[in-house]
Amino acid sequence: MSRLQDLKNTVRSKSIHVCYVNVGSCNGCDIEILACLAPRYDIEQYGIYVHNNPREADVLLITGAFSPQWEDKLMELWEKIPEPKVAIAIGNCPISGCVFNREGSYVDPPVRKHIPIGAEVPGCPPRPTEILQAVLSLAPVVFKDYEGGNE
Amino acid sequence: MSLSVIWYLKEFIRSEWLRKFFFVKTAPLETPAHFRGFPQTTENACTHCFACKMICPAPGAIDVLRDGETWMPHIYLGHCIRCGLCVEACPEDVLTAGRLLEVQKIDQTSYASTFHVVIDPELCKRCGNCSVACPVNKEIDPYLAGTGTASSEEVIMRIIRGEMRVIHPEKCTGCKTCEETCPNHAIRVARVVQGVQEERS
Repeated sequence: MSRLQDLKNTVRSKSIHVCYVNVGSCNGCDIEILACLAPRYDIEQYGIYVHNNPREADVLLITGAFSPQWEDKLMELWEKIPEPKVAIAIGNCPISGCVFNREGSYVDPPVRKHIPIGAEVPGCPPRPTEILQAVLSLAPVVFKDYEGGNE
Repeated sequence: MSLSVIWYLKEFIRSEWLRKFFFVKTAPLETPAHFRGFPQTTENACTHCFACKMICPAPGAIDVLRDGETWMPHIYLGHCIRCGLCVEACPEDVLTAGRLLEVQKIDQTSYASTFHVVIDPELCKRCGNCSVACPVNKEIDPYLAGTGTASSEEVIMRIIRGEMRVIHPEKCTGCKTCEETCPNHAIRVARVVQGVQEERS
């Protein structure tokens, strides 16, 4: 049983499906996520696939300082992701609101108030290597020894 | 046709190809040392002049905290945007990031700051609170602080012929006492920072 579990863990940690959502960012972090797809960083060699479909995803990357339009939609989106799942906050905006979090602005950070966040990657924007490192180190932990039916 | 298919299959079962397909990855990408990371503190002593905190564009990214007898700037991750302005603004080189300090030494660049004092004549009701409360004015003209009537022309601002006039804005230290005492929010103090470069011989 444990050997089968090990095999499952190995295979699952090499097949990470990612969905990313912009909840009101300046697009800087989205461009850094996009850079991960390019040959220089090449996330597909680690088995990370970007789907942009929450129903297929394991990892949700969140960028942006949470604008009011997302108040009902983000939770809905999070519930669509099948277990096991994890959300990673990319950049300063979902952590603190960064430069948008000023008096009189309509953003409502941090995003961890709205959905459970597994990891936070600081930076404005974070480097592609930092995003990659966060996904690669967190996903195996989330998938480890996961068996359905606990829901 | 069939030959080329066989050729392809032969290529794909080559052990070299199989090994590369499954195991070869691009080398782990290391962050070069000259990349500007989050500012780190050096061994220099902080004089808590708050130059770093004043220039920081991100809210809540830097604070100068007291640790016993010494002061030290503290960077908050999740707020800091790695712009490096605090590193360049610090006169004592307490912070470092990437090769900013080296470049600054080579280029002989620094930041010079001045304070602009602006009074909105429509909001100002000529009460003179600002000129009386100003600590710099008090030092220049103690008579002004005592009686509320200025006799000196050397003060930062005073009422001249019924109008509040800013005479010597260059003497302002940016304490913003005037802003706090103004009942009408008519006076504003703004810090203006300029990058300066020394003439190279």
